[in-house]
Amino acid sequence: MKDREKSNQRNNRISRRDFMGAAAAVAAFTVVPRHVLGGPRQIPPSEKVNIAGVGVGGQGGGDINNVSSQNIVALCDVDWNRAGGTFRRHPNARKYKDFRVMLDKEDKNIDAVVVATPDHVHAVASITAIKRGKHVYCEKPLTHSVYEARMVAEAAREHKVATQMGNQGQASEGTRLICENIWGGAIGHVREVHVWTDRPLRGLSDVYWPQGVGRPEDTPPVPDKLDWDLWLGPAPERPYHPAYVPFRWRGWWDFGTGALGDIGCHSIDPIWRALKLKAPLSVHAACTLVNNETYPVASRVTYQFGARGDMPPVKLHWYDGGMRPPRPDELDDGQTFGDNGTLFVGDKGKMLGYRIIPESRRKEFGNAPKVLERSPGHHQEWIDACKGGKPAGSNFDHAGPLAEAVLLGNVALRPSIKEKLTRVNLLWDSANMKITNVPEANQYLHRQYREGYSL
Amino acid sequence: MESQKVTRRDFLSGVAATAAFTIVPRHVLGGPGRISANEKLNIAAIGSGGMGAANINACSSENIVALCDVDDRHAAGTFNKFPKAGKYKDFRVMLDKEDKNIDAVIVATPDHTHAVAAMACIKRRKHVYCQKPLAHSIYEVRMLTEAARKYKVQTQMGNQGHSSNEIRLLYEWIQDGAIGPVREVHTWSDRPVGGHPWSDFPIMARPKETPPVPDTLDWDLWLGPVRYRPYHPIYCPTTWRGWWDFGTGALGDMGCHIIDPVFWALKLGAPARVEASTTHYKPEVASETYPRASVVRYEFPSRGQMPPVKLTWYDGRLLPPRPKDLEPGRKLGTNGALLIGEKGTIMHGSHGAGGVRIVPEAKMRAYDRPSKILPRVKGGSGGHEQDWVRACKNGKPASSNFDYGGPLTEMVLLGVLAMRLKNTPLEWDSENLKVTNCDEADKYVKPVFREGWTL
Repeated sequence: MKDREKSNQRNNRISRRDFMGAAAAVAAFTVVPRHVLGGPRQIPPSEKVNIAGVGVGGQGGGDINNVSSQNIVALCDVDWNRAGGTFRRHPNARKYKDFRVMLDKEDKNIDAVVVATPDHVHAVASITAIKRGKHVYCEKPLTHSVYEARMVAEAAREHKVATQMGNQGQASEGTRLICENIWGGAIGHVREVHVWTDRPLRGLSDVYWPQGVGRPEDTPPVPDKLDWDLWLGPAPERPYHPAYVPFRWRGWWDFGTGALGDIGCHSIDPIWRALKLKAPLSVHAACTLVNNETYPVASRVTYQFGARGDMPPVKLHWYDGGMRPPRPDELDDGQTFGDNGTLFVGDKGKMLGYRIIPESRRKEFGNAPKVLERSPGHHQEWIDACKGGKPAGSNFDHAGPLAEAVLLGNVALRPSIKEKLTRVNLLWDSANMKITNVPEANQYLHRQYREGYSL
Repeated sequence: MESQKVTRRDFLSGVAATAAFTIVPRHVLGGPGRISANEKLNIAAIGSGGMGAANINACSSENIVALCDVDDRHAAGTFNKFPKAGKYKDFRVMLDKEDKNIDAVIVATPDHTHAVAAMACIKRRKHVYCQKPLAHSIYEVRMLTEAARKYKVQTQMGNQGHSSNEIRLLYEWIQDGAIGPVREVHTWSDRPVGGHPWSDFPIMARPKETPPVPDTLDWDLWLGPVRYRPYHPIYCPTTWRGWWDFGTGALGDMGCHIIDPVFWALKLGAPARVEASTTHYKPEVASETYPRASVVRYEFPSRGQMPPVKLTWYDGRLLPPRPKDLEPGRKLGTNGALLIGEKGTIMHGSHGAGGVRIVPEAKMRAYDRPSKILPRVKGGSGGHEQDWVRACKNGKPASSNFDYGGPLTEMVLLGVLAMRLKNTPLEWDSENLKVTNCDEADKYVKPVFREGWTL
């Protein structure tokens, strides 16, 4: 039974690739180094997966903990101070600063890699691992640019590795209830969805990281245990500053992906699944004053998706920085609307997350049939997949297109593009990975890497 | 007419009714004297620099008999231009000394002084031209509107767009059913980051340093009814708009221009509900200045045949999504409005529906325009002050007299109030000047004046 499933999946994968546009297919061929053709090692369920980590402080530390039922054989971080806790928990793992060196030296010892660097290093680290036939768990957003997301997903398919993006909410009961409610007809056809986050704010009186600020001019010394050049990775050269590292890189165009990139892959994921979304047809955005250094203080991004089967076209409105949609009348007084949330507007009712509103409609509808399998856990899904099980819930065939859509929103927020959007929506030709009506926007789909880094 | 007034006043809460009675000084009952069309009005001004200077110039066909400003330097241009006019720093002194010489007064102070100045004039039976927004708080607006009616003075609010031809076109097209019933309106302004000295407001904590007060400025008089704080150049002469205590932010500054056309054409009246989101997060900033950006959502109940309307305000360079009727290439301006009707869409700019068009352009061209039903104001927007002069002489109300400008400003200021209580849907009882579901709002509806200042 398992084998048959597996072979079906493989067939599915191949046929899906056949549907890809010619340009993408050509690109896919160029990323196949001959020496690794043949795919990853077979790991029997009884064995442990040999895992390496790239970026193991912060969120990476959490990810490594979540896979520590397996063998943690090597750990890499450009900041050995920040990685200290994870290093100490895994004293037998070899320690590295440069993931390229680690993957070279440990190639034979590693089955799988967890990538939890800042966003700008996701793609180069993931694709280097994939090309060596390593299974990859990569933090969200999958990459820093639309092009990278396409390439990473292509490579994973090509090399038949097991993948998972770090949007752990996909494994939750809530995501399943959202899908089952909508598929079960709880709110009818959905033509409008609102999704919002307080980020970069933290609630109503704090901030996670600053946006809408300029580049610092002072050049404090690089901390002892940080390799700044490796931290920069493929990003353009600039002097070290604590404004970037740790964590606050999220607000900077060169490194992070702003509020949308940070949260979009979490909160749009259930919408993507429930409404069976594919690439958007167009995107429009407006935001507070924005510069070429950091993302704006607040933004509104609107995606238009076409019809999918019997599902009608849908508009998806994203808000951040304290902006949010109006509180729906259907929400009873006293019920929380939330600093972060999702509101589905159907022709028979609304849903706040998976909660059907108003209460009377929720009671009338009852519970939708459970048609989706429940998850053994987000990280476990990936480990199972590494051992030949079924693909994880947010494997790159799913996560790639989702991340592309999220990152396309950021293209619309670029200072030089924002002004164009007072006149047009950006029209997106996904198959050819091209914005068709504002040619200069295409420069933001990818960027030149520094020497020493490539996909 | 008189009995109607009594009835309306009787509906006011006890506090308001008491206040209304206390503002009737016996010696002025009886209404202002008539001035024939051939005579010149004797006009005084309170706040003679900046916008006040422009208003005074537009009335220079009349006798400018007295000028008041708390800052000699800021008013120097106007002072020099009218050498024969008496010069004052305190409007209360001016009104005392010049009572018999003045027929009418132009009030163009910062927002926080509008009400006390205008009310002092009205109680002396002077006709009043007052800059927009009519006052700093909803209570003040209501009192001014009531008083103007009681004392039978001619009034005009400084939303000059209300005298334009285009605002009349919009009114006529809407009554003609050009776009069918309207349920959705979007309005926006680029302030507080308009990119000009008069459109960029500070967003900051209260300054701690206390630089000396300039020789020419009477800081205590500038503060007027507002609680004392030390002088700082960040407040005056122009950037008071960004401070809660003095200005009314982007919405207060521009709402009386941008929402004016739709407020009139759709006969919106008082909203039933309002809710705001803002970018504020630092308490020390949020408590002092207006936010970098806000979205305010109003809900108006149905009016006669007209269906309920949801009106959204965006500032800080946020914009609504592009409506489907808007042709690619057609710009959403820096300030403007969109009226989404059942049968079409209208777009216009700031200041009295500037550039009003049905979109797309093909539909505009095909539109068989109705004949004029509204009289035009001589000189359009540029004739706004003279329309008031005309009203003072012939007794027929000016275009944006307080019976119109009052309710318009109340609606605008309710949105401003919602920013103070962000993310809280506020239910508004206009008749009783009461947010019915949030007692905390009371202090913003009716401010406490500094000792020595009353309405």
